[in-house]
Amino acid sequence: MTAVLAITRMTVRQVLGLRRLIGLALLAVAPAGIFFLGSARSDPGRIAEGLAGAVVGAFINLVVPVITLIMASSVLGSERRDQTLSFLVLRPISRLSIAGAKLAAAFVTAFALTGFGALALGIVALVRLHDAGYVVPLLVGTAVATLAYAAIFMPLGYITERATLIGLAYVFVWENGIAGALEGLAGLSPWRLGFSAMVDLAPASFETAIADIRSFALGTLEPGAGGSIVKVLVLGVLSVVVTGWILRRRDLA
Amino acid sequence: MTDAAVASNPALVADATVEATAVSKWFGHKVAVSDVTCSFGPGLTGLLGPNGAGKTTLLRMMCGLTVPSEGTLTIDGQLPRREVEVYERLGFVPEEAAVYGALTGREFVEYAAKLTGLADPKAAAARTIAVVELEDAADRVIGGYSKGMRQRVKVAAALVHEPQILILDEPLNGTDPIQRAHLIALFRRLGDEGHTVIVSSHVLQEVERMTDRVIAMVDGKLAAAGHIGAIRRAMSDIPYRVLIETDDTRRLGAALVGSDVVFGVTVDGAALRVETTDLASLGRVIARLARDLDLRLTRFRPEDESLESVFRYLVRRR
Repeated sequence: MTAVLAITRMTVRQVLGLRRLIGLALLAVAPAGIFFLGSARSDPGRIAEGLAGAVVGAFINLVVPVITLIMASSVLGSERRDQTLSFLVLRPISRLSIAGAKLAAAFVTAFALTGFGALALGIVALVRLHDAGYVVPLLVGTAVATLAYAAIFMPLGYITERATLIGLAYVFVWENGIAGALEGLAGLSPWRLGFSAMVDLAPASFETAIADIRSFALGTLEPGAGGSIVKVLVLGVLSVVVTGWILRRRDLA
Repeated sequence: MTDAAVASNPALVADATVEATAVSKWFGHKVAVSDVTCSFGPGLTGLLGPNGAGKTTLLRMMCGLTVPSEGTLTIDGQLPRREVEVYERLGFVPEEAAVYGALTGREFVEYAAKLTGLADPKAAAARTIAVVELEDAADRVIGGYSKGMRQRVKVAAALVHEPQILILDEPLNGTDPIQRAHLIALFRRLGDEGHTVIVSSHVLQEVERMTDRVIAMVDGKLAAAGHIGAIRRAMSDIPYRVLIETDDTRRLGAALVGSDVVFGVTVDGAALRVETTDLASLGRVIARLARDLDLRLTRFRPEDESLESVFRYLVRRR
């Protein structure tokens, strides 16, 4: 356990450079800033719709995956790039434990930023709607989406040097294109799982506010926090198993 | 390995801790290691060969970093990729950087100690940093280290858990003469204490200073193995080409033709190219002829004594 914690701590330190941190933190709070400015003179119904628009139009479907892509693809990608992976794997630690520690680090670093963005949105919602009930749903939904993306992008960062490019193509083409157009595929879209948890936990009025974007944002998914959390945990376990398997099977740089 | 196989093959040892059996590795169409069988036991063994000979690939397969295309490599009878507890007894110093530039040397070695599950990583790191004589720089970030210091911090990280088997890939690259002497003494001491120490190098002189037992590779194949003296004798068959410059190349060339240590003379403008297998005797003959013929020698330089050509010769001969 000490070794796993040591890997997680070291990885967090590795991927959280100050300049990167500042840049991504600004990206994370940008939707909250836009929502704050855009909701200055609106009625509560329009403000809730504005919140839904900020979440689905910028935050959970773009900012969360992009930040998580950058962080999660770095946790193993940077080791491969810096040729330090041999240092790590030539220790009496199972490759599954290494993969688990890396996923934990990917989630922690990405959620430190996406959670910050979610908190900012929740605080703006509190200020504009005088309702604190959005903070926790935003954080939970963001955590679900962040973990799902981390589970996908961590092995991608190890497998290919073009993880960022492929990840961005995935986010724009699959997540916001194909999965948005075909409602039945919504259950395979990480941000929609997060959004499903968010809607389930948010005040009831939020479900009304998303009426116009429901088809794109949820497809055939029903709001449900429990189901989303279970699916994402399964995805996380799968990611660790697959990454551990790849670490064992492939030649290591 | 059977006793008979060990007795008849100088690449094998009786008390092997690391064994390679019919190992090959290819990357696409490129064969990096071809059908290598050898073993290593307690003591220091030099893995010698020119750049691109397959040494690094063989070492990486031993450690489990690279999967053999054919054959098996075991550490104490175990496959490293399958049984990670092997790494409690194994330390590896790779040729590439493999350090975290943002960490201090001490943090790096402590990290290695933590990953190996040591009870007191700080004490273990301090002890090993002292062994490689890096105390003064231990609290500086590795990013600012010289190449020699990086090599030493990698050695410290590999030694921190006191492994029984130590594999080092070109560990002396970038070190200055004092650091090199210190590291060589350290590797020899570990070998003398009964650790299995495998050191790869493309510099014959480095290996000579470390050990008598050598395994030589060329073009992915085992070229020679055993006591360094025996390999040296094999090298004495190599025809040296010697460049000689004098004020009268034609007269010297004519005089050399009759010498029994020379089997080829070519006049090339102002220079003379002489082929011999006995460099020392040729030197004596040239000195005598220069004195007798009253010639002024301006150059006497063997042209073809690089390690790479020596090993190529060994491979061709096999």
